[in-house]
Amino acid sequence: MKPDPQRMLEQLAASLATDVMPSVQPRYRQTSVALLAGLALAAREEFERAAARRVEENVALRALFADAVPIVADAGLAQRLRAAADARDENLRVSALDASNQALRALLIELHAHVEPLATPAARELDEAIWTELVRSAERRRLSAAPF
Amino acid sequence: MSDLAERFAAYAARKLPDARHVRVSGLDRIPGGASRETYRLVLHYEERGDAVARRLILRRDPPGSLIDTERRLEFGAYKAFAGSRVPVPEAIWLEEDPAPLDFPFCVMQELPGLEASPSVLLAPPYAQHREKLGAQKWRILGEIAKADPQQLGLVGLMKDVAPNECWRRELDYWEGVIDADELEPQPIMRAVIRRLRRAPPPPAQKISVVHGDYRTGNFLADTSGEIHAILDWEMAHLGDPLEDLAWGINPLWTNGTPQLAGGLLPKAAAIRHWEAASGLVADPAALRWWELFSCVKGQGIWVSSAREFQAGKNQDPILAMAGLLTSSQDRCALHLLGRLA
Repeated sequence: MKPDPQRMLEQLAASLATDVMPSVQPRYRQTSVALLAGLALAAREEFERAAARRVEENVALRALFADAVPIVADAGLAQRLRAAADARDENLRVSALDASNQALRALLIELHAHVEPLATPAARELDEAIWTELVRSAERRRLSAAPF
Repeated sequence: MSDLAERFAAYAARKLPDARHVRVSGLDRIPGGASRETYRLVLHYEERGDAVARRLILRRDPPGSLIDTERRLEFGAYKAFAGSRVPVPEAIWLEEDPAPLDFPFCVMQELPGLEASPSVLLAPPYAQHREKLGAQKWRILGEIAKADPQQLGLVGLMKDVAPNECWRRELDYWEGVIDADELEPQPIMRAVIRRLRRAPPPPAQKISVVHGDYRTGNFLADTSGEIHAILDWEMAHLGDPLEDLAWGINPLWTNGTPQLAGGLLPKAAAIRHWEAASGLVADPAALRWWELFSCVKGQGIWVSSAREFQAGKNQDPILAMAGLLTSSQDRCALHLLGRLA
């Protein structure tokens, strides 16, 4: 699509902030328009990375699950981890990537809860690997205008 | 809007049987939090021959809200602290019957000419009074912690809790909110919740009134850095006073100045002021538990607001914006766990 959607969202935000907001009354509506401009900028940022961050994260989680299979004592969980690790994202629409990402993140919660009480060196190493991935997941989602 | 003004005037006339010629002017919706529609207005009437003009704030429940709150508790907190060392605006009427204005509402005294917005308070001319504002802010919170809920008449109105059950009640509640409202899995917060349950804090030193949302943005100050009112008691409850302290120093509220709690004072100074005013001790390990908990509570609020917006129950863009805070709240938790600078 040309012009780029990011450029359109950028212009939408600028118009809302500079053209629309000053002419809107009462003050409450002005605040709402400013927030809408901020949402447009957040959508612009997310549009650019939406597919990339989901693909990257899904690959990372599947690799983590493959490493986890030998450590997990629960046979059912191990089987689901293996199946998730073997799967691939064939559909690259953001909605499809998001669905698989959510399924993988739900499985990550289960894996993390399973590993936390295990004291073996391999389990401790896996626990650290999970935390490393959690930090990366927070960085992938960070918005440039976020307060922290 | 004029319909609302007329209906409010009719309501006020019923509440003021000695008043004559009751009317409303200047009704104006203002930014005032996401859990209530907030309006300012002037109520005019004649009483015993005198013309009266009262500047009021009307806070009405919206169809959907950022926070599920009990307005009776909020109103009770304002009433309880009136005239104390905790400054609050006068609470005037509470109406839980939706008939007069379609939704329940409360009416407060307006304190004109004061500022609450963090972005304004942390810029000139207010910013030169950061230390003064910070000292007052944390000392007032200490006064809230020190107050006796029984003497304030809030035990009964607010659900009592045993000192060793404060943490569990709050954690159960906010985990339940995340369970009910999350739009996507929350692996970081789930790990935090498990960690909090594995190592609970010691029992509360005392049961205090917990404001529930004590942060820069929820007090009114003048240009000389004087705080005149503590606002937004919507989440007030009885509990461990460390809960409020931890919420107030959450990294999310540093407003771009990560070294300053609430954008006002270094964390250590904020804690010292709170301890001096409350007479309590902020045990570092216990405070750390409550700081991590405050991330869970924050996430509960953000995922709820995201769900409200996504479901179309309330299209106020502040709900969508609040929903975007989930990744920031995750980062705050990772920071407190020492896993993120």
